[in-house]
Amino acid sequence: MKKSYVFMLFLLVCALALPAMAQQQIKGKVTSAEDGLPLPGVSILIQGTSTGTVSDVDGNYSISVPGPESVLVFSFIGYQNKTQTVGSSTTINISLATETSQLDEVIVTAFGISQEKKSLGYAAQNIDAAEITKTRQPNVVNSLQGQVAGVQVTNSGGAPGQSARIIIRGINSLDPSADNQPLFVVDGVPVDNSTVESSGTPRGMSNRIADINPNDLESMSVLKGAAATALYGVRAANGAVIITTKKGKAGEIRVDFNSSLGFDKLAKMPELQDQYGQGFSGVRDDNSFWPAWGASIAEENDPSYVYQDNWNNAFDTGIQFDNSLSVSGGNEKATFYGSFGRLDQNGIIPFSTWDRTSAKLSGTITASEKFNFTASMNYTNSGGNRVPHDRFLERMMYWSETTDVTDYINPDGTMKSTGGNTNPIYDARFSTYKDDVNRIIGNLNFNYSPADWVTLSYRLGMDTYSDSREAITPGPMGIDGEVPLSSTGSIEETKINSRDLTSNFYITLKKQWNENWNTQLRLGNDIFERKSDRISLSGSNFVIPGFYNINNTTQVFGSQAKSIRRLVGFYGDLMVDYKNFLFLNITGRNDISSTLPKDNNSFFYPSVNLGYVFSENLSLPSWLTFGKLRASIAEVGKDTSPHLLGATFVSPDGYPLDGQVGFSRNSAFGDPNLKPETTQSLEFGTQLAFFSNRLNLDVTYYKSNAKDQIIPVPVSDATGFSSYTTNAGEIENRGWEIVLGATPVEKGDFRWDVTANLTTNKNEIKEIREGIDQIVVGSQFGYVGSTVTMILKEGQAYGNIYGSSYTRPGANPESETLDRSLPVLIGANGFPVRTGTQLVLGNAVPKFFGGLRNNFSYKGLEFSFLIDFRTGMEQYNQFANFISAFGKGSASLARNDTRVFDGVLADGSQNAKEVWLGQGVGPDGVNYGAGYWRNYHRTTSENFVTDASFLKLRNITLAYRLSASTLERTPFRTAKISLAANNIILSTPWDGFDPESFSAGAGGNAVGFTGLGFPGVQSYFLSLNLGL
Amino acid sequence: MKFRNKLTVLICTSVVLLASACESFLDVNENPNNPEDAPVSGLLTNSTLETARNVYRAGSATSNYVQYLASPNPGSSSDTMDPVDFSSTWFNLYNVMTDLTVIIDKSTESGANHYLGVAQILMALNLGMTVDFFGDIPYSEGFDFETVTPAYDDDEELYGRVLSLLDQGIANLQLETTMSIGDDDFIFQGDIAQWEKFAYSLKARYLIHTQSYSEALTALTNGFVSNSDDAKVFFFEQAFNPWAQVAINNANLLLGGWISEQFIQAMDGTSYPTFDPRLPLMVGTTSTGEFVGTVNGAGRGNAPEQGARSTLIPGQYYTSTTSPILISTYAELKFIEAEAALPTDRNRAYAAYLAGIEAHMDMLSYDEEEDQAAYEAAKAAYLADPSVAVGAAALTLDLIMKEKYVALFLHPETWNDARRFDYAYKDMSLPENLNPDLNGEFIRRLAYPNSEVSRNGNNVPQVSLLDRIWWDQ
Repeated sequence: MKKSYVFMLFLLVCALALPAMAQQQIKGKVTSAEDGLPLPGVSILIQGTSTGTVSDVDGNYSISVPGPESVLVFSFIGYQNKTQTVGSSTTINISLATETSQLDEVIVTAFGISQEKKSLGYAAQNIDAAEITKTRQPNVVNSLQGQVAGVQVTNSGGAPGQSARIIIRGINSLDPSADNQPLFVVDGVPVDNSTVESSGTPRGMSNRIADINPNDLESMSVLKGAAATALYGVRAANGAVIITTKKGKAGEIRVDFNSSLGFDKLAKMPELQDQYGQGFSGVRDDNSFWPAWGASIAEENDPSYVYQDNWNNAFDTGIQFDNSLSVSGGNEKATFYGSFGRLDQNGIIPFSTWDRTSAKLSGTITASEKFNFTASMNYTNSGGNRVPHDRFLERMMYWSETTDVTDYINPDGTMKSTGGNTNPIYDARFSTYKDDVNRIIGNLNFNYSPADWVTLSYRLGMDTYSDSREAITPGPMGIDGEVPLSSTGSIEETKINSRDLTSNFYITLKKQWNENWNTQLRLGNDIFERKSDRISLSGSNFVIPGFYNINNTTQVFGSQAKSIRRLVGFYGDLMVDYKNFLFLNITGRNDISSTLPKDNNSFFYPSVNLGYVFSENLSLPSWLTFGKLRASIAEVGKDTSPHLLGATFVSPDGYPLDGQVGFSRNSAFGDPNLKPETTQSLEFGTQLAFFSNRLNLDVTYYKSNAKDQIIPVPVSDATGFSSYTTNAGEIENRGWEIVLGATPVEKGDFRWDVTANLTTNKNEIKEIREGIDQIVVGSQFGYVGSTVTMILKEGQAYGNIYGSSYTRPGANPESETLDRSLPVLIGANGFPVRTGTQLVLGNAVPKFFGGLRNNFSYKGLEFSFLIDFRTGMEQYNQFANFISAFGKGSASLARNDTRVFDGVLADGSQNAKEVWLGQGVGPDGVNYGAGYWRNYHRTTSENFVTDASFLKLRNITLAYRLSASTLERTPFRTAKISLAANNIILSTPWDGFDPESFSAGAGGNAVGFTGLGFPGVQSYFLSLNLGL
Repeated sequence: MKFRNKLTVLICTSVVLLASACESFLDVNENPNNPEDAPVSGLLTNSTLETARNVYRAGSATSNYVQYLASPNPGSSSDTMDPVDFSSTWFNLYNVMTDLTVIIDKSTESGANHYLGVAQILMALNLGMTVDFFGDIPYSEGFDFETVTPAYDDDEELYGRVLSLLDQGIANLQLETTMSIGDDDFIFQGDIAQWEKFAYSLKARYLIHTQSYSEALTALTNGFVSNSDDAKVFFFEQAFNPWAQVAINNANLLLGGWISEQFIQAMDGTSYPTFDPRLPLMVGTTSTGEFVGTVNGAGRGNAPEQGARSTLIPGQYYTSTTSPILISTYAELKFIEAEAALPTDRNRAYAAYLAGIEAHMDMLSYDEEEDQAAYEAAKAAYLADPSVAVGAAALTLDLIMKEKYVALFLHPETWNDARRFDYAYKDMSLPENLNPDLNGEFIRRLAYPNSEVSRNGNNVPQVSLLDRIWWDQ
């Protein structure tokens, strides 16, 4: 009985519904408003239903709708959605405008899933292809510079191919060697972005993302918090950068060609003096070691003793030439995209080069409505000659200012040297270090939908590369009187092989319960493996000079380092959508890692986020177009590096000797009871749009706590070990991210868009395990006790730089932080008194940074500029320390002056003693020895830890796009020519090269030290884009 | 129902299979680079080599204090006796002691008594060197990771340990061993009799520190009897002698190994009447063939980087690429004997003094026959010179220490001697630019290394560089 009731009811409903199903057939064509070309693949949905269709190759579609009151929603990635009420018409032609506002933005989230930004309960920001390639940066990481709130991108230097570091929402690890950078995901497959620095002197190596050709990218989205990345698990604990590459589109075959020619020059130079030459104590000496403490050049008045302007002459103009060609197209069943790119770069330090050749092929086959298949393969060959920039700059420091540095070689091939110093250019030319990377990134995707509510997806990804490096330092040539670069010469061959495999299987279940409730559940399994092997063979002492082969050396050593890491994860992701204004997302993931002890290697962590679009729910004043609140709470677990646990033995470098191989207990010990780390994060935000999207604002507050940090804690050598890897601390980051966008003018063909982003970050080390006073992240040399150290201590912020300072009698003896506002103690000799007590002189993590982009367009003309800044940070300027030691700074022009140093005497009275700043015996008859700069200034770290804020014109571009009418007479579909400039320093209190460069490289955390790094460059580009 | 059961079984089985597959899939964390265990043989190889290197490191740390060497740069902290951070020297000493602890544990277990004895002797030496530098140091709570902040033991007690380790070592060498030492021993290539002599010689060294003359004399009767007994490690074409590397680097303008004026003047006839024929075999000359030292703390002044001062030069006895690092020598033992016998048996002391000089002279030689013949003659003349051959009655501690100073060139034991002898070498003066905290006195100990202060700060004793270690009171 019961059954028949239900059946009856069903029939009744059907009968009632029948009139509404009086179908109306609509057809039409979708085109792009920009160029009028048909848009294939546009999704056309009947609003409030899941019924829809997709436009074909020619942009045509047809759909049956229930009636004239039906509303069609046209949507397509990169274009604004358009809704159209059907009415009585049977043909509806639609032209879609390109995306300009952030409101309807589609964000590619975890596992390459496109989601409307509207539905997200966390902050995410998207960068499209135009913004990526606008800066012409060869390294994709650089193109994010200044564009995304919460994301700090720093160039480690200006060398061709040199790494750039990206940090999202602050440093999350106390481990000095941890990688604090986000996970990079290309088309759903995580890829390697490690930076393998050179052994020995720094060479400015690449971070591996540099292998990707930016011209192939369609968009990048940055997932910042744990909520956004929870699904990726342990590897995305520092955030994720999701890269989507260009795909073929159904339609006629498109050919695009991009070419750009760029020039680099030094962005900034320290203030240098040009009045004094080689010698010491004001006395000229053409054989002196001392490059600039000699006589006055003007007084000497000798053509063989003149200022050589070496600092301008030693650096070349860098050149880069980038060409890429892509072909794409397809039909409804299959699409393809293929590209070829070649970049050649010569740096500003002579003989520094880098090049990249890349080829990419990807395709999609839609076998049926139920099954589609995508595959992609990217091959890259990259590498170059990495000059020893640190030594180059050090040798520039030692080099006599009155000897031409560019005259570096004798006819017999030996070096021209002065004062026993090595010529920097000779060294750059002959001490070579070449890397040659061959890399393949590939992925296969299968999607199968047996019914419209279920999809099975599988993705297999591979990222494998080999990196062959050869370092050569020549030995003596056997010519009398030569100054060799090395007494023995050496060669080192290194082969690094690395392979990442990822396998990801997931099931997506969708169910629309009724008009109001919509759910989607995803369950999946994720497997990751990284295998790497590094073998190096080094030989020294060449038997035959100039023949560079390991066989030609008398001392040969080999070494090998292998590693393997595996992860297995299971995850679930539930999305609930209520009336399209309330969005709830719950995720959970369990990871099992090979790197942790077996009892602790499985760990679960959840996340919840909620988005509430109140503008769709409440009636609001008309000027408030859109409003949304969001909140999330999430946890991410984190494992550690492989092969750390327990105690092991090592065979130290240098064996075998006399057929014996020695062993020693490894000084690193890994806690056999290590637990996974957890990062808990909390995020609140709002997204608002006003005046029909003319103005929009996105504000986020975030706070994350990384607990149970796995840190290699330095322990007393007497324990039998030197470092003990264990769970030992907590670090907190919190701050605000603000993104403000506006279209102040939109009149006819003229349009002006502004986007600004601001980030604040406050960091605190909440806890370091008892018994450990501090963790040393790194230190950098300074002359005579001015060496500085970056140290982490409980209660302090990450990045504090400790060093020596001038004594300040009024200072609080309990305080570890230098108070520069207090008066300095002046000694009886009239000079400031230095103390070696290590005080905090500054902090290297910016508290406040952001960017401002302006885009102007009028018909085919586009003009844009991006300004970015950072502030609230100090850095150790090692260059300045050397400049002080060698009398090269313009400040040392005062070397023949007398001065009364500002400060107080031991008895508290104001200092009034006049002292001479020069070397030797002063006009007052007192012997001042090596003088003020060498005796007092260079010995005190506080003189070199200074404000490293900057305001930069990151990019300025002027472009002209030929109009469609002009192009009709040419074979081209599109044509654009543009001029651009990058990295122009507008303002900085820093005296030195570009303050952005630092010596640790992208993988290192000791960011507060400039070292003698490769100076930053400013670049100018001319580019041409043609489409067929 | 039946079907449901089957399904349950199927699901359960696959879950179990998957779980076990998962477990073995993830079981890849065993270290592929570093083994979890190492043979005592390999550990001994490295311990003998690193012990020799520790002697070099210790010598390098103290050669400026005893004014063998001087820095070419003015006010260099090693010359001026400023606190210098010896974290890496400390690490290397403890690293060897850690490995020796492993050898001791393993060989005790396996009955490899010769390995046990040798490890105990080397432990005594490394422990002794560390105590001589720093005084109180961690030992009894060390090496087993029971605590991350091991307590510091009293230096006098540790000296007791050094001597008992030597006694235990000697005793264990007498026992049967389950495993014999061979070429894995870079010091004596497994010659157990030599190890025994070495242990007795070390006993004499540590006993003389505490002026235990009669015990020292007893011990040294079982010690070395000729230069060929010396405990030393020859270096390799694949790994140069570290002093050779200093000399090579200096020749390539990485300055180092500059000879102190004190040392030159002790040998060139300035401080003492005779020119010592060993000098040209130990250090280089200026480009004009003269011996010119550098004043400690003053730097090279206006002298150029090369050719104006005496430095270590490549290719000499101490500075050839395959030269040995001398750990303990017959010559040293003879001077210990001379010092110990001096108060009681002047004749024995005098004979030992002359034998010590001759032993050291015999270590040095020329390649060319003519040169060697001239050297032999000069040796004889030196040994007969009235300022050297003063006779038993006129022998003084000053003379013994002067000759020991020359014979132990670059050896860290000289700093122990200097402190016992209150730096009373003839004409030895304080370096220029002396660390003002020393109040015009010579340094008496090394500062605890920064690594220890930052990692084990609560246990590190508060000391000044003038605080003497226990045997130097």
